[in-house]
Amino acid sequence: MEELFSNLSFGLSVALSLNNLLFLVIGVVVGMIVGIFPGFGPAAGIAILIPMTFGLEPTTAIIMLSGIYYGAMYGGTITSILINTPGESATVASTLDGYPLAKNGRAGPALVMQAIASFIGGTIGVVLICAFTPFLANFAASFGPSEYFLIVMLGLLLLTTMMGENLLNGIISALLGFAIAIVGVDAISGAQRYTFGSPELIGGIYFVPVAIGLFGIGELLNCLYEGQHRQATEKLKITFMSKDFWPEAKDYIESKVTFFRGAIIGFIAGVLPGSGATIGSIMAYSIEKKVAKDPEKFGKGEMRGLVAPESANNAASAGAMVPLISLGIPGSGATAVLLGALLMWGLQPGPLLIVEQPDLVWGLIASMYLGNMMLVLISILAIPLFVKFLDIPYRLVVPVIIILCVIGTFALHSSIIETWMLVFTGILGFGMKRFGYSPAATVLALVLGAMAENTFLQSLIIGDGSLRIFIDRPISMFLSCILLGIIVVTIVLRVRKMLTNHGEEGSSAH
Amino acid sequence: MTKYKKAVTAVILSAVLFPLCAMAEYPEKQLDYTVAFGPGGGNDTMSRTVVNIMKKYDMFGGNNIRVTNRAGGSGAIGFNYVAQKVGDPYHATSTSGNFLGTPIVSDTGWTYKDFTPIALLAQDAMFLTVRSDSPFNSLEDLVNYSKTKDLKIGGTGAAGPERVVAGLFAKAADIKFTYVPSQDDGGLMTSLTSKSVDAIVANPSEVAGQVAAGNFRPLGYSERQRSTVFPDVPTFAEQGYDFEFSLPRGVVLPSGVSKEVQDWWVATLKKVVETPEWEEYLVTKGLSGNTIWGDDFGGYLEKTDKDFRGVLKEIGVIK
Repeated sequence: MEELFSNLSFGLSVALSLNNLLFLVIGVVVGMIVGIFPGFGPAAGIAILIPMTFGLEPTTAIIMLSGIYYGAMYGGTITSILINTPGESATVASTLDGYPLAKNGRAGPALVMQAIASFIGGTIGVVLICAFTPFLANFAASFGPSEYFLIVMLGLLLLTTMMGENLLNGIISALLGFAIAIVGVDAISGAQRYTFGSPELIGGIYFVPVAIGLFGIGELLNCLYEGQHRQATEKLKITFMSKDFWPEAKDYIESKVTFFRGAIIGFIAGVLPGSGATIGSIMAYSIEKKVAKDPEKFGKGEMRGLVAPESANNAASAGAMVPLISLGIPGSGATAVLLGALLMWGLQPGPLLIVEQPDLVWGLIASMYLGNMMLVLISILAIPLFVKFLDIPYRLVVPVIIILCVIGTFALHSSIIETWMLVFTGILGFGMKRFGYSPAATVLALVLGAMAENTFLQSLIIGDGSLRIFIDRPISMFLSCILLGIIVVTIVLRVRKMLTNHGEEGSSAH
Repeated sequence: MTKYKKAVTAVILSAVLFPLCAMAEYPEKQLDYTVAFGPGGGNDTMSRTVVNIMKKYDMFGGNNIRVTNRAGGSGAIGFNYVAQKVGDPYHATSTSGNFLGTPIVSDTGWTYKDFTPIALLAQDAMFLTVRSDSPFNSLEDLVNYSKTKDLKIGGTGAAGPERVVAGLFAKAADIKFTYVPSQDDGGLMTSLTSKSVDAIVANPSEVAGQVAAGNFRPLGYSERQRSTVFPDVPTFAEQGYDFEFSLPRGVVLPSGVSKEVQDWWVATLKKVVETPEWEEYLVTKGLSGNTIWGDDFGGYLEKTDKDFRGVLKEIGVIK
């Protein structure tokens, strides 16, 4: 413990140097702005800014780039809340209650709460990094394809809690996501599936244009259909002084456990390389809904439904630094770019990094504490500005959002095919919205479906075609039991509910 | 009015004639350097290193060099852009694995033959690596193991260079193995650390940290000569498995440029690889600095392409 504090104070002395502090501020502000634009996730933000860091010290540069990384996690939710457009898969869960909150006129409190949840999640994540890195590194290293498959299955199982009231429509939406995930090169045989010889489809259909289309453009079309552009907007007069800017005491009290639960779930999911923040936010949301006494409020603008995934995805982004720093294993697209940056400076992330470059590692960790504090301040200060956006008449907002969505999509890979996908999925998203299907299930199934397929086939190859691999390996065994447990409990609860319903119907008939 | 017309005619005429007479003193205008991938990746870093060195030592006749990322379709878009500029010596691009790989698996409309080869500047060869706590101390141990048990070798992607190296090794050693493809580098690393596979084929820079920490043990290196950065790791060839495979990190121009331009570029890039900046790039990226020049580079591309196609055909990815 004492060692931890001496390490941290050493790290703070590095992070607090004027130069590092300046670039930390630049990093978090840029990250937040990058996060706000639909389509520009942290990976794109870091990649674009890497050339800017060539002249800097490695420690300064990595502090700035990490700032972009977790700063984007703060910014990414703002569009989820205000225009129902998640910039990346980790913030899909935040739209479920975030957007209804904004529609109910509670955009101010929702944005404040997301900033606070992000801060708590991010800070708890950094605390856990300090305390458990060596232990967690071994934990992450012991996860092979079979363990990942089971984790992804857990994520997919929990997806059903996010599907809204109509389970059948939810499942159809998820199957659509799986179908889209089939396009591309089969990861095992190398055969091409539904690519029609097009080089742009070899890599598969990327989820970002699909997400922006289904959510962003779909929502836009829906609002036009409902005639929102003809309505006069009520002027929201939101300043720091106004009553409806700050969350109510009730919001804090109800969410007090949610903050921590979300953070811990998110952190654990984040440590595991793969789709950490996405699975973390799904798990946090669905567990929150499961433990709530009033699950019917979720999806209609429930603060806990926003706090849980927000706290989780920020804790996950901190968690993903653990395998990156201690093993050299990137857990997400953004950390893969960070890894590339570390290599570029001739730093070799791996078990020895913390021994050979203590100023870099501890400086970075300490800077993450400072960065999170700055971000919560900046976010809250900037909220009146973001909320002003809602004052603009809808007919003026529409073209701006469309332009942002198109630019964001095209900027990803400069691909015109992906831009057409945006248009097509936009129309699809409108239809899904009208007929009660779940875009969230489609996008998450697209992300997780590809992972599930790959890891399942890898496991089978490793296990010589036998399913025994899922019980022979100790961690797999443990995860299999959890999965089985959830399925059994769900079925038992269903059957019991059906029986009691049946009994009531039966008695009333007599 | 006539004065004005004359002036316009003169401007147009000079614009038309200027490039023709100026060919004698190449280069005399801005170079458009295409990176067929996004910023921050391996191809991008190499391209920008080359361009920065050329700018710093004023090697392009005082003319500007503009680097543009034309990413998309695993390099298909950017390489196609340069391939279209037939005969234009003011376009250049950098090759990497996808320069050969993408046209093999998809209909790109160009292959390596649609470019003028200038130089192979560095090679991206692969390590075959095992865990240090495994009983394997040499490639021979792996070969013996495969005779009684199912040897599992992991790599990134189904039809990438990692699979080619594993396939060529198995062919040279006359053994059977099971290939376990991971979808990304992170998954590949954990498939080895979690004891899911026996060995992995990976880029030296990806595993260097684990090697330095004593967790991984590289058993073979897929180039003809030992790496200049990891001189302790023996090659496959010197252990009796006669093959070599590495991905070309080099520079090419559009097809149809003159012999003079090709020679100019060979001479210039020979100066580039002599600089301390280039040395530093090789060391930090863990690349081997063995070079091949001009038409010999073309021959190297042909051979590597043949190996690549051969293995992919064998495993049934292409017909």
